[in-house]
Amino acid sequence: MKRISLKVTGAQGQGVNSVGEICGKGLKHAGYCVFGYREYMSLIKGGHSGYQLDVSPEKLESSETTVDILVNFNHHGLMQNWQEVKKGGIILHQTPMWEFPSEQQKWLKDNDITVVYLPVEDILKKMKAPNILGNVLITSAVWTLLGQDDDVLKELVRKQFGHKGEEIVQMNFRCIDEGTAFIRDDSVQPLTLPAPDLKWANHMYLTGSEAMGLGIIHGGCRMYVGYPMTPSSPLLSYIADKQNETEMVIKQAEDEITAVQMMSGAMHMGTRAATGTSGGGFDLMTESLSLNGIIENPAVIVLAQRPGPATGLPTWTCQGDLLLAVGAAHGEFPRLVISVSDSQDSFDLMPEAFNYADEYQTPVIVLTDKHIAEALYTQVPYDVTKAEIRRGNLVTDPKKLAKLKSADRYDPTVKDGISPRWLPGTEADVYCAQGDEHDAEGNVDESASNAIAQMQKRMAKMTALHNALPEPDLIGDSNPDILLVCWGSTRSVVDDVLKSEEFAGASIAYLHYSFLWPLKTEKLLQLVSKAKKIVLIEGNYNGQLGKLIRQECGLNIEERILKYDGRPFFYDELHRALTPLLS
Amino acid sequence: MHSYYTDTPCTWCDGCGDYGIWTAMKRALVELGYHPWQILLCYDVGCHGNGADKTRAYTFHGLHGRVLPFAAGASLANPNVPVIAFGGDGASFSEGVGHMVHSVRSNYPMTFVLHNNANYGLTTGQASSLTWQDQPMNSSPNGIPERTLPSMDFIFSLEPTFVARGFSGNIEQMVRIFKTALQHRGFAYVDILQACPTYNHLATHDWLLSHVYDANSEGHDPSNFEEARRIAVDTTDRISTGILYQNEDIPSFYERLIPRQQRKTTAVEEVERTDVSELMKEFV
Repeated sequence: MKRISLKVTGAQGQGVNSVGEICGKGLKHAGYCVFGYREYMSLIKGGHSGYQLDVSPEKLESSETTVDILVNFNHHGLMQNWQEVKKGGIILHQTPMWEFPSEQQKWLKDNDITVVYLPVEDILKKMKAPNILGNVLITSAVWTLLGQDDDVLKELVRKQFGHKGEEIVQMNFRCIDEGTAFIRDDSVQPLTLPAPDLKWANHMYLTGSEAMGLGIIHGGCRMYVGYPMTPSSPLLSYIADKQNETEMVIKQAEDEITAVQMMSGAMHMGTRAATGTSGGGFDLMTESLSLNGIIENPAVIVLAQRPGPATGLPTWTCQGDLLLAVGAAHGEFPRLVISVSDSQDSFDLMPEAFNYADEYQTPVIVLTDKHIAEALYTQVPYDVTKAEIRRGNLVTDPKKLAKLKSADRYDPTVKDGISPRWLPGTEADVYCAQGDEHDAEGNVDESASNAIAQMQKRMAKMTALHNALPEPDLIGDSNPDILLVCWGSTRSVVDDVLKSEEFAGASIAYLHYSFLWPLKTEKLLQLVSKAKKIVLIEGNYNGQLGKLIRQECGLNIEERILKYDGRPFFYDELHRALTPLLS
Repeated sequence: MHSYYTDTPCTWCDGCGDYGIWTAMKRALVELGYHPWQILLCYDVGCHGNGADKTRAYTFHGLHGRVLPFAAGASLANPNVPVIAFGGDGASFSEGVGHMVHSVRSNYPMTFVLHNNANYGLTTGQASSLTWQDQPMNSSPNGIPERTLPSMDFIFSLEPTFVARGFSGNIEQMVRIFKTALQHRGFAYVDILQACPTYNHLATHDWLLSHVYDANSEGHDPSNFEEARRIAVDTTDRISTGILYQNEDIPSFYERLIPRQQRKTTAVEEVERTDVSELMKEFV
């Protein structure tokens, strides 16, 4: 698969994101699959940030460590990122009088790298255009370097700024013409992109958070409560920003405990509600998780991972909270831990999270991470007719309600431990949603026999859930010699590597876990019995899925590729790491 | 009141103020015409919380200090069901004091009843932040070093829309207060001074009885914020009770949610697969 990449760097607040986004959308419209990867620091102004686009006419969902075009808003990028440019690549910058030190100049020359200075200030002055149009100028220069026709860009600009009036649009168009002319006059050889595939043009270009927000809305969620914390904040922002369209109840809570409790109260009342947070906030929610376990309340909590401990690396990524999700909160109670991996399952798995929560009347934790939450995916529009709404043993029919007795609510003799649930405000025999150990009606009961009966009732749901969950997905050779095991955002880059020429034809596959707790191991053990090599790939220090696998079935995956530097696995990096497996 | 009766025996101490509050609440609900299935009573953890299964209604018994946000979430999901939260002074002014601040300022459409016995009864009589400073308590034999939190001044500083104070020995008055609170538009804060015969030997039933007076019968105007605050805070000689302050002009949190204003349904009734086709368009 032919892939090219470009990276825009600059200080936060300079417009890095807007140039990245316009180029990303533009390339998609031109017929390319685009994967956008953003790096930034935990501050608002200043700080070095980057927006990288990896582009191909075929599907891709990963980034490389090197780029074909490096765009620098300021000299920091020139100083920090120059070595990331590929042989034959281009550096575009707007820093007047910039000269690379001689050693770097030699390296650039040896690597056939063209350095283009775009005098943004001078051009804008000549045009009598405001500084804000600098971004459009830079975008058009990049666009020309990508060998793209400016019609697509103009169309996008009209779409974005059309509402501001024709004068603004025309000013933007003039900027585009100037930027294009500058590159052409400078006779820089533009990049040759592989032939486009126009099927991408009608795809969406969106973040994992937006995908998850759409999935949450699609799944019938009517209330969202959150407290800002990167990288869960974009989810809160998206859902909150859409409240006038969705007419959902939105609450920015005063803390994460409030957020999880409000979600729980709303769920108890019978709506579908969700909350989202990151590791530190999730730590605060854990006592409430336990409460939902004992009152047998559906709960949906999104845990967007970033590297810890403590504040850690707030704007970077990791997969370090799997064992937290599995083990959080005191006492023993059933729970489901799911992880999304990209923009497709960030959408698909959310209605399922609500379904499982309703069916098993217990907490569901959905893991995502900063990489998924903030990366931009080229995504086929979702099928909005497919998702099911399954509410399990929720009784709303008046005839059935009339037959219910209080003692049905926590009846420990029911099949799979799943007793009927009915809602406050419905005409029926009432019950107590009791946080103390309770009898079938919810009355406090501290007897040993009741403690056993209720524990067994609740944990029977875990067994039923374990049986109901699908086995992990196997992608690649159905009978592989080399088996890779992964979960979460790592899946996309593994997928891209296995689709590369070098891996084509090899007996290799990856087993991807979406449902992580309870853990299914049957399929894994079957594959392991035939595979010659098994490799675990995770974005954490301990190999947390590996630990869970060993705990559940005794299999110890010794060969492990682990990463915990705050960065996702990059395509070329993982390609290099996996290549020795082929020999 | 029989419909609210359960067979579960009460476990409060003889003379506990919880009995009075429990009785008055049931009577208020009956007088307002509510059936047990039409309401949600949410209890914090503490002696009062052990009443969660002593009233026949949809009830909830949660975590220490956290009853307010649970109840608020429930009330926003279905504002047609009256939601009443109960909490002790320990939970409400220490562990959960943040929730108190934001519940008052959010003006959620719900009622909060403070079981105020000025100590942690269920954990055997430790000082709460409302215990008098020099009062020796379990775990603080010399009295607490911290100053007592002036709860009424604190609540009034948050610009509440409803404040009442009752006394667990006056059921008539509590019924009146609860009924008014339940019909209030936003967040109704009800402080009930209650006897704790086991651990609070200072503010006993008799002591409270001799100190409280009904401000409303003395002509107090509940629409006067400044006067309400003054008589709520000043307890040097006598303790004011009754409806101290009420402002019905401030919309509740739910009423202020612009997207909900045209909705006839509640969030509970709206759970269905939602078409997101329109929302997807901006990404293409």
